Amino acid sequence: MRKHKLIQLLVLVIALVPSILMAQAVEKNSLSLTLKYYNDNNVTHHLLVLAKSKIDGKFQTVPNIPVEFYITSDADKANLIGKGKTDDRGQAVIEIPPTAKVEWLKSPNQNFVVVGAATKKFDEGRGELAITKAKIKVDTADGRIVNAKVVALVDTTWTPIAAVDVIVGVRRLGGILNVNETQTYPTDSSGGVTAEYKRDSLPGDQKGNITLVASVVDNETYGNLSSELVVPWGTKSVYMTNFDHRTLFARRGYSPLWLEILAYSIVVAVWSVIIFLLVQIKNLKKLGVE
Amino acid sequence: MEKSAENKIIEDLLPQKFGKQGTIWVISLLAVCALGFYAYCRQLYYGLEVTALRDYASWGIYISNFVFFVAISLVGSLITAVLRLTDVHWSTPLTRIAEIIAVSAISFAGLIIIVDMGRPDRFYNLFTHGRLQSPIIWDVIVITTYLFISLLLLYFPLLPDLKIMIGFKERNGKYLQKLYEFLGSFWKNKPEQFKITDKAINILSVTIIPVAFAIHTVTSWLFATTYRPGWDSTNFGAYFISGAFLVGAGGVLIAMYVFRTHYKLEKYITDEHFNKMGKIVVLLALVYLYFNINEFLVPAFKMKKAEEEHLMGLFTGEFSPIFWFAISASMLVPILILIFKKGRTPKWAFFAGILVVVGSWFKRFLIVTPTLLHPFLPMHDVPKNYMHYFPTWEEWAIAGGSLAGALLVITFFARIFPIVPIHETIIETDSHEKA
Amino acid sequence: MKTNENSRREFLATTLLAGAALAGCGGNPFTPDEVTDIKPSGEMVKLLSVDGEIIEVDKAFLKPVPEMPPVANSEARVGIPGKKFAMVIDLSRCKSVKKCQTACNHMHHIHPGQNWIKVYPMQESEKTAPYWQPTTCMHCDEPPCVKVCPVDATFKRKDGIVLIDSDRCVGCRFCMAACPYSSRVFNWEEPQIEKEIAEQPYSCETSVPQKKGTVGKCDFCPDMVRKGSLPHCVSACPNGVFFFGDILEDSVTNGAETFRFSELIKDKSGYRLMEDLGTKPSVYYLPPVNRNFPFENKEASEEKKEKA
Repeated sequence: MRKHKLIQLLVLVIALVPSILMAQAVEKNSLSLTLKYYNDNNVTHHLLVLAKSKIDGKFQTVPNIPVEFYITSDADKANLIGKGKTDDRGQAVIEIPPTAKVEWLKSPNQNFVVVGAATKKFDEGRGELAITKAKIKVDTADGRIVNAKVVALVDTTWTPIAAVDVIVGVRRLGGILNVNETQTYPTDSSGGVTAEYKRDSLPGDQKGNITLVASVVDNETYGNLSSELVVPWGTKSVYMTNFDHRTLFARRGYSPLWLEILAYSIVVAVWSVIIFLLVQIKNLKKLGVE
Repeated sequence: MEKSAENKIIEDLLPQKFGKQGTIWVISLLAVCALGFYAYCRQLYYGLEVTALRDYASWGIYISNFVFFVAISLVGSLITAVLRLTDVHWSTPLTRIAEIIAVSAISFAGLIIIVDMGRPDRFYNLFTHGRLQSPIIWDVIVITTYLFISLLLLYFPLLPDLKIMIGFKERNGKYLQKLYEFLGSFWKNKPEQFKITDKAINILSVTIIPVAFAIHTVTSWLFATTYRPGWDSTNFGAYFISGAFLVGAGGVLIAMYVFRTHYKLEKYITDEHFNKMGKIVVLLALVYLYFNINEFLVPAFKMKKAEEEHLMGLFTGEFSPIFWFAISASMLVPILILIFKKGRTPKWAFFAGILVVVGSWFKRFLIVTPTLLHPFLPMHDVPKNYMHYFPTWEEWAIAGGSLAGALLVITFFARIFPIVPIHETIIETDSHEKA
Repeated sequence: MKTNENSRREFLATTLLAGAALAGCGGNPFTPDEVTDIKPSGEMVKLLSVDGEIIEVDKAFLKPVPEMPPVANSEARVGIPGKKFAMVIDLSRCKSVKKCQTACNHMHHIHPGQNWIKVYPMQESEKTAPYWQPTTCMHCDEPPCVKVCPVDATFKRKDGIVLIDSDRCVGCRFCMAACPYSSRVFNWEEPQIEKEIAEQPYSCETSVPQKKGTVGKCDFCPDMVRKGSLPHCVSACPNGVFFFGDILEDSVTNGAETFRFSELIKDKSGYRLMEDLGTKPSVYYLPPVNRNFPFENKEASEEKKEKA
């Protein structure tokens, strides 16, 4: 076994030598990968990696880093659950695929590993994450009360968890709007939080529906959990647009009628004079031929 | 009238071949044009990067040149239409000069706008995707219209002259003869034909006035429809038109003098013409001065914050030398010269005309660029060279080339066609003698 | 006498209305529009559920939304249905860190030296407080730039965003002259961008790649919004200066904090720039009050040093 590792190391060194020699001219930056776990509404779940590097003394996000996601550990290639490339914000995302099933069901605790390949400018990077499987469930009670409960898997049973900070809000574009002034609620011993919905006449969709969200954000043990519920607590939104109106700032063909009438009548009047005169030239020619 | 007198007029007014001076003139104009063309090729290749235009001063001497061209082209309507409709006959020998200035200036106005475009290759978009709401589209429509009307106004009075020219087959040479015949072989001096042309010219004279007002008003709206200090003015249309008539009349003074001395037309473009044109220029300069006072005094009295920087830049700041030069050269000095009878002699009037035209060119620059360099929010977060504007050699060459091009068109026109209408001069002299 | 006056008023009112009707505006300046929710893409993916079961999910419902190809030009000209975007910029938080600018320049591959977001050092008068004022495109509801565009190259969408079609723009720069906020920049030369990006087909929603001889400006990142994310400047700002959201949802967020838009504007006395011009911007500002950091204009002091 030991011998095996030595050989591996040797191979690695030999493989690295040319690249180290090459890299002497360009100093490579180290790469830091942060891995996050998201449980989406207790159905699907995904991993997000954020690639950063300290360049010129400042941490900056790094795009275009090829990354590989592993479940449990990256020692075994069979644990590879997906590949990606960091986008312009230095992020890459994968949904947990069916291939992860066996490892996922093994234990209530789960490790994930992300490996970023070395590129011309950056060294290889690695990030790890250990989570305990958990769920959050949102529900409502009379009087516009929102209840949420956090449970985690202990051995094989879902057990309520106390003292976890929960955000209770309404799903909005790019963020969650709290249901009242309180930012977060810690769960009680039964894993539950209770929040009163105090948003008066908040616009919902066309039917007046809003989406309630209870979520745990960046918890050290459980990662990110969220659960959604659609309730008819909003006001019906009426979407108005003047897109098809005739205005000065509308598109071609939608100019105000007064402008069209004015412009076209002037153009027609003046050009009919010009055409009349062109006809006169023709008449002159006729007279000349006779 | 006696036949010999008539022949003398014809002999005097027939277009002449370029002499030594003429050849030098044409060659130097061609050289300027060629340089401008070279500069434009560079601009096409490298983009507007070759200009000194940047995000703040995004319009420069191309646009001011455009406004200048549009302005000077208005003279066609002034001399031909306004004076004709008011039954002023002394201006007859000047009509064709005015019309050809109008035609060549308006053509180059169109060209210089294409030069200013970042994507001249997409010029057709103006027709395939044109939005009626945009004042640029109004300008495109109205400039095309004005060009057509000016061409017609040039063409109808030319017909009787063409017949006279066709008579000089040997003198004309093969190509010119073909051109004359193509344009006017059908003209037989028939009374019915005269009836049609007289009517056509009258219709044109009426039509061209609103169209001419429209082209320059719309051009002023390119600026006045924005919020910027210096442009946000309800006075702008009238201000532009009065300035346009002034620069056009100045241009006619120059052209009169040049044609008179070069073609020895003292008998036809007389001292009296200079006297009368001089008076007109004084009147127009006073009107323009009046609008200038309106345009600057009223905002300066209030000194709103946004206007203040702009106005102070003109009065005492960065642009003050050009500003005071333009005001004095285009208005004050010409008025001082032409208000005296001695100032209305050909040489002085010529000098005043040059002052008016040069001053007006710079005036147009002052209308366009200083405003752009005084935006509402201070100039910030741009490279330092974005905050000033001084045209590059390419811009000077292209702008100069366009001016030379316009002069070339006028020169060649005078080479091919009689610059003073022969037929009308004969008629005028005739009626004069009879009276 | 009084009745006379009234009838005159009524007469004026009716003629005005008639005029408005002629202009095609009617009484109400806006008309309701049909709103469509997210449509299923029809493309199913197999995933592992949290409970360890294998499930099938439509791609369109995944969060975050997977990378989608840019929308067609015709769709980009109409906008995202049922939305009306707005931005709130909290001046009390801005220290001119300019991360917004860097991120924006980077993401849109803007020409070096030019900026779509500018951070102005402002001081209304000698004795008033200096503050930093970042400006984006204001995405005006009555955009003066769109009014003057001769070829529909810049246009106002249903969702309130003003965009530029660089494949259409003729480069006349009338829009730059018309914009009172100086938010437009011009590509004076061939953009200095990587070949790979320069060869992409232009998309109005990403504003990439910029093209020589055309105008560019802040686009409110509709491509990000389609994915459910925030514009680049919003997520790049370390101080949470920028808030973005859908006015029809009545909320704005900087990613970390989410506020009800109407309350935020009411509580902090939000305002818009140059309201008197009647451009009706979609960008609101919160006044620079209660700042617990000094105003340090490094650029200006550096310039002074250079001069000395």
